[in-house]
Amino acid sequence: MKIDHVLTTCPYCGTGCNFYLQVVNERLIGVIPCKTDEISQGRLCIKGYNAHTFVQHPDRLKHPMIKEKGKMRKASWDEALDKIVSEIKRITSEHGNDSVAVFASAKCTTEENYLFQKLARSAIGTNNVDHCARLCHASTVAGLVYSFGSGAMTNSIPEFEDANCILVTGSNTLEAHPLIGSRILKAMENGAQVIVIDPRDTPLSRLAQFTLHQKPGSDIAWINGMIRVIIEEGLFDKEFVDGRTELFEELKQVVQQYTPEEVEKITGIEPKMLVDAARTYAKADRSMIAYAMGITQHSNGTDLVKSLANLAMVTGNVGKESTGVNPLRGQCNVQGACDAGCLPDFYPGYQKVNDTGANKKFRGAWKSNLSTKVGSTITSTMEKMESGEIKGLIIFGENVMVSDPDIAHIEKALNSLDFFALVEIFPSETSKFADVILPAACYAEKDGTFTNTDRKIRMLRKAVGPPGEAMPDWKIACELGKKFGAEGFDFSSPAEIMDEMASLAPIYGGVSHGRADTEVISWPCPTKDHPGTKVLHVDGFKMGRGKFAPVHHSPPNEEPSEEFPMVLSTGRNLFQFHTGTMTRKSPKLEQEAPEPYVEINSGDAKMLGIEDGSRVRVTSRRGSIALVAKVTERIIPGTIFIPFHYAEAAANRLTNPAYDPIAQIPELKVCAARIERS
Amino acid sequence: MNDPGKEISRLAFDERGADYLLAVREEYGNAGPAFVAKGEDVGDIRTDIPYQLVTILRKIYPYMEDGKIAVVIRRCEEKALNELIKRGIIDGDRIIRIGLACSEGQIEACRCTDPVPSCVDIGSPGKGWNEDQLSKELSAMSSEERLDFWVAQFRKCNKCYACSTNCPVCVCDHCVLEECTFVAEKGIPPGMAFHLIRAYHLSDKCTECGECERSCPAHIPLLTFRKMTNRDMKDLYGYESGDTETVSPLLTTLEGDLLEEEED
Repeated sequence: MKIDHVLTTCPYCGTGCNFYLQVVNERLIGVIPCKTDEISQGRLCIKGYNAHTFVQHPDRLKHPMIKEKGKMRKASWDEALDKIVSEIKRITSEHGNDSVAVFASAKCTTEENYLFQKLARSAIGTNNVDHCARLCHASTVAGLVYSFGSGAMTNSIPEFEDANCILVTGSNTLEAHPLIGSRILKAMENGAQVIVIDPRDTPLSRLAQFTLHQKPGSDIAWINGMIRVIIEEGLFDKEFVDGRTELFEELKQVVQQYTPEEVEKITGIEPKMLVDAARTYAKADRSMIAYAMGITQHSNGTDLVKSLANLAMVTGNVGKESTGVNPLRGQCNVQGACDAGCLPDFYPGYQKVNDTGANKKFRGAWKSNLSTKVGSTITSTMEKMESGEIKGLIIFGENVMVSDPDIAHIEKALNSLDFFALVEIFPSETSKFADVILPAACYAEKDGTFTNTDRKIRMLRKAVGPPGEAMPDWKIACELGKKFGAEGFDFSSPAEIMDEMASLAPIYGGVSHGRADTEVISWPCPTKDHPGTKVLHVDGFKMGRGKFAPVHHSPPNEEPSEEFPMVLSTGRNLFQFHTGTMTRKSPKLEQEAPEPYVEINSGDAKMLGIEDGSRVRVTSRRGSIALVAKVTERIIPGTIFIPFHYAEAAANRLTNPAYDPIAQIPELKVCAARIERS
Repeated sequence: MNDPGKEISRLAFDERGADYLLAVREEYGNAGPAFVAKGEDVGDIRTDIPYQLVTILRKIYPYMEDGKIAVVIRRCEEKALNELIKRGIIDGDRIIRIGLACSEGQIEACRCTDPVPSCVDIGSPGKGWNEDQLSKELSAMSSEERLDFWVAQFRKCNKCYACSTNCPVCVCDHCVLEECTFVAEKGIPPGMAFHLIRAYHLSDKCTECGECERSCPAHIPLLTFRKMTNRDMKDLYGYESGDTETVSPLLTTLEGDLLEEEED
């Protein structure tokens, strides 16, 4: 009889809750929250409690497979790996190294992601490496790097409890980050004022003191409007503005035209509500901003993020405890995948690939010729696949056929490839397109680290062995690297990989598995004796002064028309996660939210003859899906909402791939659509 | 606290003949549940972190074909264990109890009226708490005010099911909270029915361990809710859960005269 309780990190959102997996004779039977964990404090959400259920599901991929005459057949590891290497080599020798791309995974460990980008850069020779951060917080990284010099959450999760005011926008915190939502509820109990600004009612907005509903895609207008109120009424922090920022006069000029009445025209927010919210945010001693996809997934997402940074800086709410600008990252390790350099423009630790010093440093360390040409993002890779410029693709654990905008376009792109290899844990909508499929170990079956949304290094500990012949991604990456003939893929453990990354990425300089095993460290942690950094920008910004961004409102790429009169927004619900690869195989989660639906305002529904539960068809310029209507007061008229979890009625068949010019993040939050009874 | 691990290990394996020990242990800078076989190192045992070990025992018990299991057990857990034994869910002969008297701090956190296990092996017996302040305040309110209070509290519910998942005496094979019969609304918050059904389901089992309240991400004062329900059970039926003999009034009234009279 062997019964173990293995402490590890939740594989769902970016909060990074630790829990114990209960293992009886190699069988996972349950999840127990860790009471001493400083993030979860012995609490979890429903996804966390069910995080063991998909792991040993019979559908898991167990053997490498190769497509032959249109059919998949079992193959040995050697055969499958050799096939990938020979195909990729053939393509690069014919069309150059940049004709291949690698998609890394925010579901894999930081160590694995370090190897994925090393594989692309050092073994294949291209900076074409990216991952789903492109679809969620690419604009955060670009925007906050401009404003503050660092693209990560400025403060930490426990600090929410001590804030006096929390402004939440574009984040359905209680559903998408439930344990951060829990901290916000605690703050309210402690007397904090909570302001929620969202086109929908969310579980949090129903409890908050202030709820403002803006039209989707109108955010810069209300943010500028609030800044104008704050400056006009002398509520801004002059000392902070004078001492620590630049371009204030330019900002003042830009916000001048955003009078409360003007803001109402653009956003639909009542002037009094705007002014009250602005005063509340500015007058509180410690005000925090939390935001997520509702801000980032716009064709001007980078500007939007910068405007939130403007709002925080103008009130001096940066560089102190319980303040700051706090992007809530959606994947367990999207932060770590960014930190590890799975971005086409950055080596590990945000060192630019086109910086000669950084290039030289990594050439020396990896003993390889590295390109200084900035690589291709996921969004532009999809375009280049369709045009034939990119012909080979390796994906580690992403389900692009559900998660990416305009699925018809993704389908064409995948079909245009010469060769496509996929590393996955389950068969997926994307795996049908693969020429080679490799079975990977999931979070419960390996060691490593995730970096959560507040930059904490969280340990994963192996609880059970992987199914069949499946292997952890880090081993797969090592085998591929070696077969490509590259040096530096001889690792015997994730701990060794982290040591190498720490030696090259100064923000991780003091991080090791030895430390992370017993200590909670937040990066930047430059040296072995450095305690880590809870609050960023305390003594100053990386580039000296914080930079205001004088930005104007601009309309979304696609606006409602006669043919497509509604605004379609997409997002998550509490019970499912992303493309459902894991949650839809968890019986209790699937039972709670089993079918795709579209939320529509009751007034709109009445006009269109749609009742709660009616079968409806939603159509955009790119596609059409059939699903069930959920008639509700909880969404503003003119807007409909579809969760993107359901492949059978994939919201991303409808979404607009138009993207932000800087961050190349697609405008997943706004497109024009039509809804009708079917 | 001086190392209680040695004493617990001695009591479990040497003195009381256990094959396994279920306790709380420190590892990786955190405290968590540990299941140790006789002869294995018990490690750094902690007695100050209130994991609900009877819930954990109940989950692994169906997989344990033989052997005696020692459990470090507080008074509330001991009572919960009795409820499980009474219902035939756990064979009492296979469980060895190592009684842990709660600290003053823990007693205060639980507003506990009955903190001393029947046999104290570890810790020193503390004095029980007289009254739960919030229960007192709520009892003084009008019923409308009281209802408003709970409606506001339950609106925060995010349907994580922690209250039932971590409950030692939530034992139904199929949970009615997951059906749509009474908890109609899918999504969140799940509505009052969710909490009231749970309250009734536990009314003859709850031993006020407080695990529901400790693990609630919405910070709903569920222990106070339990204490008030249990007080009703005591006042109305003279019933208190926690021993192996007393039969639940929910079973006895079905056989009594009262029900027949009502039918007339």
